[in-house]
Amino acid sequence: MKVFIDPPNSMILFDLVERLGHEPLSSMAVIQEKVDNIEVDMPPMNVTLDDVVKGLKYAGVEVPSGIRGRLSLWGPMIEAADAAVVINDAPFSFGCVGCDRSNEMTKYLIKRRGIPVLYVNYPSDAAGAKTMVGQIKDFLGGLKA
Amino acid sequence: MTIRVAQLSCGTEYSGVQFEIESAARSVGAKIVYPDVSYDQVQEALQRFGFRPRSQQLQLMIARAVSLADGKYDADAVFITTCFRCAEAALVRNELRRFIQENTKLPVVTYSFTERLKASQLLTRMEALVTIVTRKELLARERQSGLTAGLDSGSSTTKAVIMENNKIIGKDWTTSGDVVQSATQVLESAMKQAGVELKDIEAMGTTGYGRFNLGKHFNAKLVQEELTVNSKGAVWLANRQRGEATILDIGGMDNKAITVRDGVPDNFTMGGICAGASGRFLEMTSKRLKIPIENLGALADKGNWKNAKMNSYCSIFGIQDLVTNLGAGKSFEDVAAAACHSVAEQVYEQQLQEIDVRHPIIEVGGTSLISGLVTAVGEVLGERPIVPPDSQYIGAVGGALLSSGFL
Amino acid sequence: MSTARETRLLMISPDSKVTPDQLVRNVHTMVTGLLVKETCYGCLVEGTPETVAALMKLVRERYRNEVFSKRRGYPQGDPRRCRAQHGTRPGFAQLEAEWAELPLIQGALDAFDRGENDYDRPAEKRPLPVSELKNICEAYR
Repeated sequence: MKVFIDPPNSMILFDLVERLGHEPLSSMAVIQEKVDNIEVDMPPMNVTLDDVVKGLKYAGVEVPSGIRGRLSLWGPMIEAADAAVVINDAPFSFGCVGCDRSNEMTKYLIKRRGIPVLYVNYPSDAAGAKTMVGQIKDFLGGLKA
Repeated sequence: MTIRVAQLSCGTEYSGVQFEIESAARSVGAKIVYPDVSYDQVQEALQRFGFRPRSQQLQLMIARAVSLADGKYDADAVFITTCFRCAEAALVRNELRRFIQENTKLPVVTYSFTERLKASQLLTRMEALVTIVTRKELLARERQSGLTAGLDSGSSTTKAVIMENNKIIGKDWTTSGDVVQSATQVLESAMKQAGVELKDIEAMGTTGYGRFNLGKHFNAKLVQEELTVNSKGAVWLANRQRGEATILDIGGMDNKAITVRDGVPDNFTMGGICAGASGRFLEMTSKRLKIPIENLGALADKGNWKNAKMNSYCSIFGIQDLVTNLGAGKSFEDVAAAACHSVAEQVYEQQLQEIDVRHPIIEVGGTSLISGLVTAVGEVLGERPIVPPDSQYIGAVGGALLSSGFL
Repeated sequence: MSTARETRLLMISPDSKVTPDQLVRNVHTMVTGLLVKETCYGCLVEGTPETVAALMKLVRERYRNEVFSKRRGYPQGDPRRCRAQHGTRPGFAQLEAEWAELPLIQGALDAFDRGENDYDRPAEKRPLPVSELKNICEAYR
């Protein structure tokens, strides 16, 4: 099944979802689509005015452009997802996910979609890591059934 | 020599404007760079800086600024930019600008962008950053020498000045039409007044929107953006070449607020997204009142802005406010005062919040001749600005002064 | 999604004894038709999605819980994302942070492999009720 991961660029989530037999939907995949598009030459990411305008589907014009640009990329993935795994309090969200407002909206869009979602806490010790991995294992295992 | 402009930003790539920023930098011989920071450095920098924004890209901006302040990363200038309308980013942007100014000698410019940003809008700012870095010696020039001319091709008016041995000997201005033709007209008139001919002019400097075109046409020795040129002109005219000052130039299309130290700008802001608070609004006001713009200031000085409510950010709605006031029977004097006050208020709210105002404030540009506006700016800032003689000629004077450095 | 190429980073958990050099040499022997670049954390690989999938199967067999992987949007050595061009990119800090956490994940996966399937359910932390805080304050009077 297609599982949206949040943070969408997390290596840990991408790896766990894949090793447990599902297809992770990540920011890396949409970014690849953008950067491989040779018809657009807007380095570094080939995100264009059109993309930001498409973001109006998710947020009004009074919302900063960076948020709309991000949502225009993550939004369609959330729409394509069968399930999602969300880390509640990831201490890292650099790179593609550096904007907290966009991240909040992403979480909301997942919720609104009504697909099965697992929320896990970011671990600070071995027991916490076992809890996170165990929950993800059980959740993804359940999706197969 | 490539000038390294350190970019501290959030949202540029996802707004589709990073390419425009880099194009603007490239076109003036600069290169955008990002200070290297590790995850641990980010955590340490946040601890030291004491502001922990929720957005981690903003945290990264802070760490990059700290890296610049510690001299761990080599850059020549700093460009701080974040999404327009993001409150969290606006707080960080301004505090980082202050931090960079307090902890480094790097020139810095801040900008809030929308997805419609184009490289051309940033050109003047990037060019100014590069000028400050590469033309330090030229900008330190305090006296004009020889016989030189300055041309300032602005969005509303075109100005020419002829200077000889540190004195203005000829000057003229006209409303801007065809760039070359308007400049030729004022230059000829200024030369006539000075009693000189084009072949006598030893060097020429051009600035303003039409600078490249004019520079080519007149084979000018200096073609330079208006931020640095106007600053030099302003401190020369106000005789404030040493020490600190803030230069406020309410232009026809965009407003500039520039802080200078010994006549050299180290921080500036320039309106970009909206022209609602520009001199153009006062032009529209005088047209609606059917009075020459030259008379607007004196009229406003006789009125009381408190009697006519005008508080729109937009020049179109501002005119609507004006019409409503006139319809309600308010006096021309009060309405003129309210229009001046509304421009001053907006300049305060939009431009002056992006810099740390240094004293004295020198108000220049064509709008500084509108005494009602100067009064309003003084009221809003709690300090009447200095308006030097010939204050509308700052760009042309700066051009003539700086171009004499090439002799 | 694009199918022309797939670029992946393979990251060795800090608790693993595998070196990037060993990983690269083994990756070369696993499949053909792959571009491999050694990095400080492991390596970057690039090939068709089929080749990468075949590789991942073998990597996961051989380095079960000590090598982790995610896709990368940009191709290898893309100047748009090259560190030498501009300095580090924002995602670098994220990778660093996740790399440091890999031993915890590795430990958890190893435990499940050993059949230790129990784990603590997360307890929800609630703020102290005001009445209790009041009691505590009053106790210190």
